[in-house]
Amino acid sequence: MTKAVATISPTRMELIRLRRRIELAQKGHDLLEQKMDALMMEFLGLARRIRVKRKEAFGKLLEAHRKLLRCMAWMGTAETIQASLETARELELEVSSRSIMGVRVPMVEEVRARRKPTERGYSLHTGSALLDEAALQFEETLSALCGLAEMEEAVRRIGRELERTRRRVNALEYVLLPRLKSMVAFIAFRLDEMERDNFARLKRIKAMLEGREWRK
Amino acid sequence: MEEIVLRELVRLNAHLPKRRVSLKEALEKPVVELADGGTHQFRRSELELLKSLLPEEDWDSLKIPILIEMDPKLGRGAGRIRGKLECRVVAKVLGKQEREELVLYLPELAELRGKLQTTTEYLFTA
Repeated sequence: MTKAVATISPTRMELIRLRRRIELAQKGHDLLEQKMDALMMEFLGLARRIRVKRKEAFGKLLEAHRKLLRCMAWMGTAETIQASLETARELELEVSSRSIMGVRVPMVEEVRARRKPTERGYSLHTGSALLDEAALQFEETLSALCGLAEMEEAVRRIGRELERTRRRVNALEYVLLPRLKSMVAFIAFRLDEMERDNFARLKRIKAMLEGREWRK
Repeated sequence: MEEIVLRELVRLNAHLPKRRVSLKEALEKPVVELADGGTHQFRRSELELLKSLLPEEDWDSLKIPILIEMDPKLGRGAGRIRGKLECRVVAKVLGKQEREELVLYLPELAELRGKLQTTTEYLFTA
């Protein structure tokens, strides 16, 4: 800061220029602070929704595993594994993106995870109703997990942007603005000093001229 | 450092669409082009919600995304909604009294953004 102060010329023009820079920096600081608040609100809102969604998805997953275990107990482990190997899965997702204050986040619009029993690929003769139930439950879990993944990615990206914006706000608040203000204070002090100097010089000249006239 | 800040300020509103579309247009094609060159997709469920809140003759007049003006003069975390239809929709979503201009504070903003995630957008003004 001292180095920056030492390199500036203490003129009125420089003072006006610096005051304008302070005004701009202050405005920028306020705007970035607003952005930071908005990002924080988004972040917290998403985190809250994630908590609910995660609970829901894990509940579904637990139920799906329970149904799978019941199916294994009824049909036999080898048969259930055989049925799972027979099913080929290609998940159809509609993924687009949306923008939250310039942060691009993915958006899963539609997950077509649910299939009819005939579309699953395993033999209906060898499978049981319990297998269908377990498969259906897993398909529903898949939809919930896709929604959860979308939110978690969004919160991660917003978090990164929040960190970046906070750095900018802090740089303005703790580095740039104090530096500019100290420069303004230095120039104002120097200008005052110069004015006092001039005043003293003029007083001295006046006294000298008055003394000369008095001697005449 | 000043350059970085200036660049950041220029970028501040780059996420806004080049042109806001009407609800009717969005129902047909739920995508808008953004000023930064990207695209923004509206969620179908939100468009349906907006559709249910307004009579059919207003679908052409409501422009989306609805802009939330963030003005430092309003105080930290406060936003303003302008426009008759925009205010009507937001008031209905939040269960507030309808006004010419709505000033929303943090909890209301959070609620609005929770319900209309893709059909509202922040606008930063100095």
